[in-house]
Amino acid sequence: MKKVAIVGAGQSRYGDFPDKGIKELFFEAYKDMKASVDKGLDPKAIESAYIGNLGSGGFQLGNMSALVTEYCGLTHINTMRIENACASGGYALVAAVMDVMSGTHKAVLAGGVEKMTDVSGVKQKYWLGVSGDTEYERLAGTTFSGLYALIAQRHMHDFGTKREHLSMVAVKNHKNGAQNPKAQFQREITLEQAIKGPIVASPLNLFDCCSTTDGASAVLVCDAEIAKQYTDTPVYVAGFGTASDFLAIHDRPDTTTLEGTRRAGEMAYKMSGLTPKDIQLAEVHDCFTIAELLAYEDLGFCEKGKAGPFIEQGHTQIGGDKPVNASGGLKSKGHPIGSTGTGMAYEMFNQLRGSVQKPTRQIKGAEIGLIHNVGGSGGTVAVTIMRR
Amino acid sequence: MAHVSVPMYWRTIPQRYKMIGQKCKKCGAINFPPKGVCKYCQTSSEFEEIQLSGRGKVHTFVLISAGGAPPEFAEQEKAGGQYPVAIVQLEEGPKVIGQIADVDPKEVKIDMPVKAELRKIYTEEEVIRYGFKFVPG
Amino acid sequence: MAIGISGYSAYIPRLRIKKEDYAKAWGSFSAAGVAEKSVMGFDEDVLTAAAKVSKRALESVPMAPDKVTRFAFASTSPPYFEKLLSGTVLYSVGMPNSAFSSDHTTSTRAGTEAMIAGFEHISANQTGMAVVVAADAPSASMWDSVEHALGAGAAAFVLSADNLVAELEGHASYASEYFGERFRPRGNPYLHDLNVKKYAEGSLITNTTRAANALLKSLNRKPEEYQHVVIQQPDARVPTTVASRLGFTDAQLASSLVSKSLGDLGAASVPVALAAALDVAKVGDQIMVISYGSGAGSDALSFKVVSDRKAPVKVQAEMDRKEYIDYVKYLKIKGAIV
Repeated sequence: MKKVAIVGAGQSRYGDFPDKGIKELFFEAYKDMKASVDKGLDPKAIESAYIGNLGSGGFQLGNMSALVTEYCGLTHINTMRIENACASGGYALVAAVMDVMSGTHKAVLAGGVEKMTDVSGVKQKYWLGVSGDTEYERLAGTTFSGLYALIAQRHMHDFGTKREHLSMVAVKNHKNGAQNPKAQFQREITLEQAIKGPIVASPLNLFDCCSTTDGASAVLVCDAEIAKQYTDTPVYVAGFGTASDFLAIHDRPDTTTLEGTRRAGEMAYKMSGLTPKDIQLAEVHDCFTIAELLAYEDLGFCEKGKAGPFIEQGHTQIGGDKPVNASGGLKSKGHPIGSTGTGMAYEMFNQLRGSVQKPTRQIKGAEIGLIHNVGGSGGTVAVTIMRR
Repeated sequence: MAHVSVPMYWRTIPQRYKMIGQKCKKCGAINFPPKGVCKYCQTSSEFEEIQLSGRGKVHTFVLISAGGAPPEFAEQEKAGGQYPVAIVQLEEGPKVIGQIADVDPKEVKIDMPVKAELRKIYTEEEVIRYGFKFVPG
Repeated sequence: MAIGISGYSAYIPRLRIKKEDYAKAWGSFSAAGVAEKSVMGFDEDVLTAAAKVSKRALESVPMAPDKVTRFAFASTSPPYFEKLLSGTVLYSVGMPNSAFSSDHTTSTRAGTEAMIAGFEHISANQTGMAVVVAADAPSASMWDSVEHALGAGAAAFVLSADNLVAELEGHASYASEYFGERFRPRGNPYLHDLNVKKYAEGSLITNTTRAANALLKSLNRKPEEYQHVVIQQPDARVPTTVASRLGFTDAQLASSLVSKSLGDLGAASVPVALAAALDVAKVGDQIMVISYGSGAGSDALSFKVVSDRKAPVKVQAEMDRKEYIDYVKYLKIKGAIV
């Protein structure tokens, strides 16, 4: 099996762009990725592309991967749309890695794009509630906020996790995102603001929930043997893991664990020969603040039930011993569904090379990082460990 | 609007109207809603139908406000305010999600006993979709 | 062989609105003698109420739902103008698909029409079991005074020749042509009432007294022999008008005057009121039931109570289980704010 490297990564600005569609957004990310390849990239080298995408802005159900790649001048290549809800990007990256590992292709694009703000409010809400178990969970009156709230309520009941712990995630991530010029939201919030936000689905309030976002990202994955053609400082894929779970949370034996994360993490650690202790920084899937707390536990950063104290003690701040979501996370950076996973890879690529745009967010001496991308309420999870 | 077609909704009325579950012939556990393969032993596809009582207790819950309500329930929330949704542990074993009706949202608690009954869920294409909601007791 | 009611139950949705809230909104409240009324919940309708109350009634008899041989559903406010309504209830409750089911609608007499249909079935099938349910939540424009009395409720009866609570002694009917009193034109969910008062009263009195007197005559009975009289209640005054015309007293009405707290229950008015009378009746009591539907017609039924077995949930308990709402919430729930 081939060793895999990442030699370029790009991301569009994340936000709300009425003047850009999925083609334009993806092209922006592609150009950004091309510019990041230190020794230059001849696009003809790209033989294959996996594009994470959930909804195509509602208009292109079929063949969207061909649409966006040929717009970038990548024509006649292997291209596939990867869809695993919010984990689409993470799985696009895994697909690209497997493509290279198998020796099928040498240079492969893994990207993602989502256009969420074109459609009416009603249609947006439709999207937000059809990647859980639509038949039962949506028709019981929930969208994802409700499902994660059900998890949060039980977590608070079982472990004494507090309202403040949830809000600490929002405060930390907004603080980090305020230093990320590509983030959707670049303003800090106070703990009091975060605690007092209007209720969306109790206990989750407005500040516990990520927003809808337009955006795109792309990373160039290649056979490690040819990495030096592109850069003297490639980042390597040390390992990855993927796992699914019962789609409806009521079918899961344990409401407060994302078994998909646990197993995907285990598989990634095993493949890379690493343990949670080795991970120096992580980008995790904080679609809701509770999701970040669950990630600390399910990825083994802290014991089950102890995520509240873990964040309270400051471990996951920039400057702490386990910085999480230095990019601002989904909460502040935004969550363009298909792009989120490869956007995490973009952040980690820069962190591990010391090339983060704003140095205040740079985790110094970062060598081993983990990205964690969850589909919906945990139906699918992809974890990738990257290292210098 | 969630698009669940008429036949798709109709296929689930044994569960939605009558709480019919499937007892795994191999391990005896109850699957509700149904699966192709028993979700407990993960090895058997043989089931017998069993009528569940509809009684259970609240395992966890959420109070949905306007921002958290899918469009099908927007009017319900506007007319009546926050509504509770719970994962209920049915007395026969399986857990299932459902709204709790006829209750002051502030009174909903984990372990509260509830019972299923037929209610209007939503309307799509002018066809009323009925199903179960839980009420206290 | 004696036939009659072997089980029964009533269900009242828990929301209530007081007459004072109407008076605040409109300056006055038009339903005579009604202090407050029941309101169907946002996620309920006459079919969900019928399913609930039919299940309850069946739980009070030893026979399982799959032994039902006849089902009749009655309502003036069904959720569809065309669709087999009884199918929803039949399926949900677990009654056999092969039971003959009928939908009765288009007038507030529908409740007793369903009961008589059920009794006719039992007369011809003495080993059978019929379930009849009336569930209603009529609506009118918020601008119309006829709207003020309209409430919501349901009652179900299990009819058979076995284990009777009350025996049917006989019934009589009277149907006639009286257009233009209370009606709903085609395709319109809202009741109209032309308010031609004397004319409407004439129809009410003619139909009810002819049905009731015919029954009294055929049974060779006098009004004073009855302990309870249950009469259609578009408000709380109409039953006393009809009662006095027939020679019944207010005392005989007392056990069933549910409209005072629930309003006009439409086709479920007489069925719920009958359940209330059965709840307090003693063995040996006679009950006279007189329904009325505009357009017009009346059914009269006579019962004798033969057992002190009562419904597990009493009408009074249903009436006491309540939560008040204000007028704005009432309008939102009834979908009257468009």
